[in-house]
Amino acid sequence: MKKRFIFLFLIVNLLIFSQDANTILKNIDNNQVYDSIKYEGEMIIYISGKKYVKTFKTLARGNKEFFTEFTNQDDLGTKYLKIEGTLYVYSEDLEDVMQITGHMLKESVMGSDLSYEDMTENNTLSAQYNAKIVEEITYDGKNVWVLELTAKTKNVSYPKRKLWVEKDIYLPLKEELYSLSGAALKENKIIKYEKIKGKNFPVQIETRDLLRKNSKTEFIMKNIDLDVKIPDSVFSLKNLKK
Amino acid sequence: MNSLFSLITIAYRNIFRNLRRSIFCIIAIAVAVFFIVIMISFVNGMLRSYSYTLRTYEIGDILINSKDFENKKEFYPLQFAIETEEDLETIVKKIESIKGVKSVNLRITAIATLTNSNVKHAVIWGVDFEKEASTNFLNQKTKSNGLLKDSKIPDPNKNECLIGYRLAKKIGLNIGDKLQMKIVSSQYSDKFFMPKVVGMFDFDFLSYDNNYIIVPIDKLQKVANLQGQTQQIFVFLENPEDSSKIIKEIENIFNKEKTLIKEWKKNYWVTMLQQVNIIYSIIYIVFIIVASFLIVNTIIMVIHERIKEIGMMGALGMKRGEIVGLFFLEAVILSKIGSLIGIILGGIVTGILQNFPISVEQMTGGIELPISNTIYISFSFIYLIEAFFFGIVVSSICTIFPSLKSAFIEPVEALRR
Repeated sequence: MKKRFIFLFLIVNLLIFSQDANTILKNIDNNQVYDSIKYEGEMIIYISGKKYVKTFKTLARGNKEFFTEFTNQDDLGTKYLKIEGTLYVYSEDLEDVMQITGHMLKESVMGSDLSYEDMTENNTLSAQYNAKIVEEITYDGKNVWVLELTAKTKNVSYPKRKLWVEKDIYLPLKEELYSLSGAALKENKIIKYEKIKGKNFPVQIETRDLLRKNSKTEFIMKNIDLDVKIPDSVFSLKNLKK
Repeated sequence: MNSLFSLITIAYRNIFRNLRRSIFCIIAIAVAVFFIVIMISFVNGMLRSYSYTLRTYEIGDILINSKDFENKKEFYPLQFAIETEEDLETIVKKIESIKGVKSVNLRITAIATLTNSNVKHAVIWGVDFEKEASTNFLNQKTKSNGLLKDSKIPDPNKNECLIGYRLAKKIGLNIGDKLQMKIVSSQYSDKFFMPKVVGMFDFDFLSYDNNYIIVPIDKLQKVANLQGQTQQIFVFLENPEDSSKIIKEIENIFNKEKTLIKEWKKNYWVTMLQQVNIIYSIIYIVFIIVASFLIVNTIIMVIHERIKEIGMMGALGMKRGEIVGLFFLEAVILSKIGSLIGIILGGIVTGILQNFPISVEQMTGGIELPISNTIYISFSFIYLIEAFFFGIVVSSICTIFPSLKSAFIEPVEALRR
């Protein structure tokens, strides 16, 4: 009797306190979901032994709209706008607004390890992927779940992903992105995160394009303001051309 | 001398002893030499076009770029401009002042990503178009700048470009349309660019007509963040053969540690062309050797038939060397007549054919080669002389050995047969 009771007690605890992979995924998403965001960004590109620094300001609303303006000397005046699922760019050399679509989305941004697709993709992981826990290990001194994600539909940039998720904070410390054939395409690592409005928000991420030699990109966010009020006029083609 | 003359006379008369056999030998050599004339003319026409195209578009007479660029030149990186201690204008003037220099042309080339779904990438070529057109014929076939009807040269102060007519067709562009593209600048910035197409060109060079967009170099320098800089300097000379001498003067102007200066003669493709010439020479020799088999066979048969005659000549005091010389001279006369006929016919045919264009595109099925799309057979008396001597020398060498056979025949034994 006593043994049966202990057994039942353990099962109930297991059910209450164990995490399934999809729940973990939702918790990861919660850390990165916001109504709006305003920040100053820096993209440091290391390529062929040289370093290039790009600075910009970004305003974004949910995962559907964003407006970015580059502020470093070489890219001054270059602006990007995403609205209604389409990415636009404007610069003085262009003298007009241009749409970035199709194969151009797969091109690298400013020679970095990130593509335009990476920058504009913003659906939650739980909406795009099914997850399963592969193992629980220690990574970089922290307890992590290793998750394998498989895309639910065909139209995702990376059909497979692997995440090393820190258990306490639900942040993927490391992420590997794969093609359908299983070839490793990119690797992301969270270098630094901050607690902002109750969320564990990654503020410094290192990305490597594994198909390129000797290159990596650091994406840094500063002066982050979440859930700020942004006027509708910011996300318009008129504002882009200003 | 008298004896040589006598031998030649005897050898000449011996040819008519079996006229049919002699005619067959002459025809064999004539046919081989005829084809050699055609081949030499065709190959030289092709190589001339190849060399001109290579020097006009790819290597100049002397080419200057940075060593870093050279290591990645297939990607046309904009990040490795030529480093100079003085400003570019001064450098250009210094080079132009060297005796024998015809023109110094600055060029910037980059890969552009297009927004078009049919054609995703193209090559953008930043040049001073007027200067390029005055230095070389951009269309070798028409001896012109290659611009098609209703085309104008882009204004460097405006957002304008020229496009290869085949590329325009693939994209579906006409004059007046705008072309959207992106390049990665020297500072790894994405530069979006939308020039208006003000003209189309036909350089009769598939690679350029299929893939190139031309913009004024000043405009591309601005877009690519290369103001006052250039990726490559092409130096064209009054006489390309002077490149070895002039390159030494140019080398003094640049930092040798960071800059690569090459003359056209040392270019990989040019040295490969020279190797090709050697290979073709071997092919010509093989042709003649094969044709010479008939003469060789004839000499062997003649020696066998005239064995008594050889014995008689030996018995009458003719030396072995003179007997060998007799048969050898017969072969030489046959090959000389055959070669002469071959070069006359070959000369007439190549003289006519040099006026008819040959489409490389049709020959190769559209493969992009570093050669003009239209080539012409090249006619020259030098090629005829070359083929003539090929014919005589090679067939004569082939016939030495069977002629020597006659030297080992003992007169007594020959007469007994």
